[in-house]
Amino acid sequence: MLLFDREILRARRERAARDWDTASFLKREISQRLVERLDDIRRSFAVAVDLGCHGGEIAAALALPGGGSRGDVRSLLQIDLAEGFARRAARFGPAIVADEETPPLAIGSCDLILSAMALHWVNDLPGLLTLCRRALRPDGLFLVAMLGGETLWQLRQCLAQAESDVESGLSPRVSPFADLRDAAGLLQRAGFALPVADSETITVDYPDPLALMRDLRAMGESNAILGRRPTLARRATLTRGAAIYTERFGNATGRVPATFEVLYLHGWAPHDSQQKPLRPGSASSRLADALQTVERPAGEKAGR
Amino acid sequence: MNSPPAVPVSPAARLGIDPKLLEILVCPVTHGPLEVDVGRGELVSRKAGLAYPVRDGIPIMLAGEARRLEDKP
Repeated sequence: MLLFDREILRARRERAARDWDTASFLKREISQRLVERLDDIRRSFAVAVDLGCHGGEIAAALALPGGGSRGDVRSLLQIDLAEGFARRAARFGPAIVADEETPPLAIGSCDLILSAMALHWVNDLPGLLTLCRRALRPDGLFLVAMLGGETLWQLRQCLAQAESDVESGLSPRVSPFADLRDAAGLLQRAGFALPVADSETITVDYPDPLALMRDLRAMGESNAILGRRPTLARRATLTRGAAIYTERFGNATGRVPATFEVLYLHGWAPHDSQQKPLRPGSASSRLADALQTVERPAGEKAGR
Repeated sequence: MNSPPAVPVSPAARLGIDPKLLEILVCPVTHGPLEVDVGRGELVSRKAGLAYPVRDGIPIMLAGEARRLEDKP
């Protein structure tokens, strides 16, 4: 089933690219947090790829102030669905226009795949993860940050309420996001070794709910769900949604918070040098000894 | 099917493409190799019968933007 219309998304991204500098703060923040994770990994990654590069924020964040690059990246290929973004990113290095959903990467060609705030628009995330694992060399790293399930929960709640008040019916207005539990399982199923998924939330303060909606549009992040009602942007519904938002979440001065959940996915292309679980029955010492206790057969009650 | 020979370095550079990029790039439709057509400024996937345009050194790897090889330009 196709959830997101990639053509609509592409048009939105092209529009967002035109006036990107005013809307890029969240992308810059998430890119920075993402690449800092490379500092904990003592390895160099000669060939890296950025899926959904927007204006080149990952490339900018990879550059170290004293010269050189985090993760010792020698070349970074930046990929975006929108030509406007690829052109912006090209200031930092090689860029191409391609669909991040099916990246045109040769098998076993990359050492590192990065992505910030792009993969929440992908229809077939399991398929993409498998493609990425194959594109990596053995012991290559997949390290991405994507928006997760708690993202914009306030907006979702208020628009749903407004829609049932005004139009007596519901249609999806805020895209569904993957959640943390899905993410870890997906990494494993795609064949990544040592998969880790964790999340954090970033709360952004807006002067009012309409400013949030404008900002989402400027980021190219407004709803791209297929099967949206044609009446999607009905003014009455949005106005009512904004009123509910202020009512429920506004502070004394009317400012409102918006939550963005960032999922970090982290997995390695399998390689013999990686730690693996031992074969069952291959233990050379007893657990009971390590715990300084007495081993009892299963089924016998302890401490009777 | 015969795969085309490895892409030489200089044609890529003449299109403003980082030659290293072509080592990792494949056709998005067939995942087959790409040839550089310097004259037309395209990356050609024979297997898919598609030629992807390169604009200002930026390859546009979208089937919808590609030229079908049997078409006259």
